[in-house]
Amino acid sequence: MADALRSAPIRSAAFRFALLLGLVFAVGAAALLLVVQQQIDGYAREATDGGLRAEAAILKGEYAQLGLSGLTDAMDRRRELGEEAQFRYLLSDAAGRRLYGDLPGEAARPGWNTIEVIEENATSETMTSLGTRLPDGLLLVIATDNFDVRNMRDRLLRFTLLSGVGIALFAVLGGYLTGRLFLRRLDRVNLAVDRIIEGDRSERLPMIGFGPEFDALARNLNRMLDRNTAAMEALRQVSTDIAHDLRTPLTRLHQRLEQMRESEPIDPAMVDEALGQTDEILATFQALLRIGTAEGGVGRQRFRSVDLSELMDRIHLAYEPVAEDAEHGLTADHQAGVVVNGDPELLAQLLTNLIENAIVHTPLGTRIVSRLYHRDGRPIVEISDDGPGVPVHEREKIFRRFYRLDVSRSTKGTGLGLALVAAIAALHRAELDTPDERTGFSVRLTFPDLYPGQ
Amino acid sequence: MKILLLEDDEATRAHLERLLRAAGHVVDACATGQDAIFLGSSGDYAVLILDRMVPGLNGLGALKALRAAGVRTPALFLTAMTGIEDRVEGLEAGADDYLAKPFAASELLARVNALARRPPIAETVTTLQVADLTLNRIKRTVTRGGTRIDLQAQELKLLEYLMLHAGEVVTRTMLLENVWSFHFDPRTNVIESHMSRLRAKVDRGFGQELIQTVRGAGYRLDG
Repeated sequence: MADALRSAPIRSAAFRFALLLGLVFAVGAAALLLVVQQQIDGYAREATDGGLRAEAAILKGEYAQLGLSGLTDAMDRRRELGEEAQFRYLLSDAAGRRLYGDLPGEAARPGWNTIEVIEENATSETMTSLGTRLPDGLLLVIATDNFDVRNMRDRLLRFTLLSGVGIALFAVLGGYLTGRLFLRRLDRVNLAVDRIIEGDRSERLPMIGFGPEFDALARNLNRMLDRNTAAMEALRQVSTDIAHDLRTPLTRLHQRLEQMRESEPIDPAMVDEALGQTDEILATFQALLRIGTAEGGVGRQRFRSVDLSELMDRIHLAYEPVAEDAEHGLTADHQAGVVVNGDPELLAQLLTNLIENAIVHTPLGTRIVSRLYHRDGRPIVEISDDGPGVPVHEREKIFRRFYRLDVSRSTKGTGLGLALVAAIAALHRAELDTPDERTGFSVRLTFPDLYPGQ
Repeated sequence: MKILLLEDDEATRAHLERLLRAAGHVVDACATGQDAIFLGSSGDYAVLILDRMVPGLNGLGALKALRAAGVRTPALFLTAMTGIEDRVEGLEAGADDYLAKPFAASELLARVNALARRPPIAETVTTLQVADLTLNRIKRTVTRGGTRIDLQAQELKLLEYLMLHAGEVVTRTMLLENVWSFHFDPRTNVIESHMSRLRAKVDRGFGQELIQTVRGAGYRLDG
């Protein structure tokens, strides 16, 4: 059983991908938070410092124009804003005595400083202060709190944490659901595979869905299964056929040998007949071996340019008298200079098989034509006759091993001639078909274009 | 003539020995490629008959070694395999002829004779003569008793092969291979059809019949 995949969605690839994505999101969110915080800090500091600097300049101006009372008046006006007051103050004289303001004494330092201020409600607050020297030894310290900036940072942190956790949770949930979906679809495929393994050769994989690429995969796998099934079926059929086909000559041979044991002296004619039977059996094996090697693709590495015109002319000359003796007409219409890539000996065997078939399986007076021409750059061989023809529903079958038309059962032969033709044609990547003829029968071979693109 | 036979199957070896001896040959038989190299390198054989598939160093390897050592004795390969591949490999290894098992006794004897006689008629011989029959290999013309005979190209090739092997039996398979380059057995009477036409032109009306049919074996052209 292919049950390794039929486990929890939590172990599925989809879930793992989702987890990985969640992790990437989390890291991304953290990095974003860090960068944004830095930017905000910078901006807030600039804003605070700018405010303090401006306030210091304004108050310095007040003091220069209106003196100490003008300065304290200005600070009073600001403090009257109450909660809305942006700044807090401390004014001390040259001796360090407090003249005005509520900032703690230790804040009385010139320049930029960070100070802790204890509020009335006993909470501590961190503030940024700027101490400015005024004429007459006065020191003016202005401070402002960082509350808004901190508040914003806190909110941002909370938001980022929340959204990070949320995204991760969504990713995990999504991954789990997708994983379950994938597993359910793949389980159907696995169940189909189980049935195929257990011997159901007609079973095919269901479409996986999700996208064309998955369905294309399923379709390809199904095509592979189709091919394998066909090949297995053919193999099974062939072994049955071989056993069946050889039984007759072997039985006859057996009978002959038994007769010979009885007869005294041995009749040479009987011996010849027995030898004839063995030759028949050997011819069958020879043809089967040749079909087997051709189908296995053996010999393609030895392919070379073959002048098909010359080869067909030669075969035509060889068979012209044979056809004449058999009272058949054999004519040739061969275009000159037609070249294919192939094995000359196998091609010769293919062509003679077709011509001999036409001579052997048609009645006296049948005309046979051997044609060779180019169409769309592809060499085409056509052997046709005007004999009784082959029924359309049998045309496919005649290229199978041992298949014989009822009318030709009585003629001598292995029943392998056309199967060998088909195997040699396939080895040469030539298309083999039987075009519809008004009268008679025709076999056509279309070779691949030797120089495509010319 | 003296023949070296390499064949590992005992029954086949005994059968072939008997066959060749009955035809008047002297036979040294061995079962391994190493023995074949040892015996064959002596050079006093007219023909080597080598089975391709023997255990250890096979016939192919043995012949390659012999050829590399400069032994030019004509060699005939025997094989149970029927692929074209095998024949080409055999010829490339230096074999002069090739015979697929099983074969008729007459086929083997005819081929052994043809091989042994190979050297005398060189490709350079331009005129073949048997009795009053003359074939000019350059002009591609045939005359008998001074009378010009018109032959078709393949008939002429057939006659040429018969004349090159005058006095020897040539089998149908030898003719198919050498005249038509067919390395398979046709189902129809290709040879007979051509032979009857050739005879009609060469033999009919000239008194003596030169082309003889050897029953169960093939043909022989006799002067």
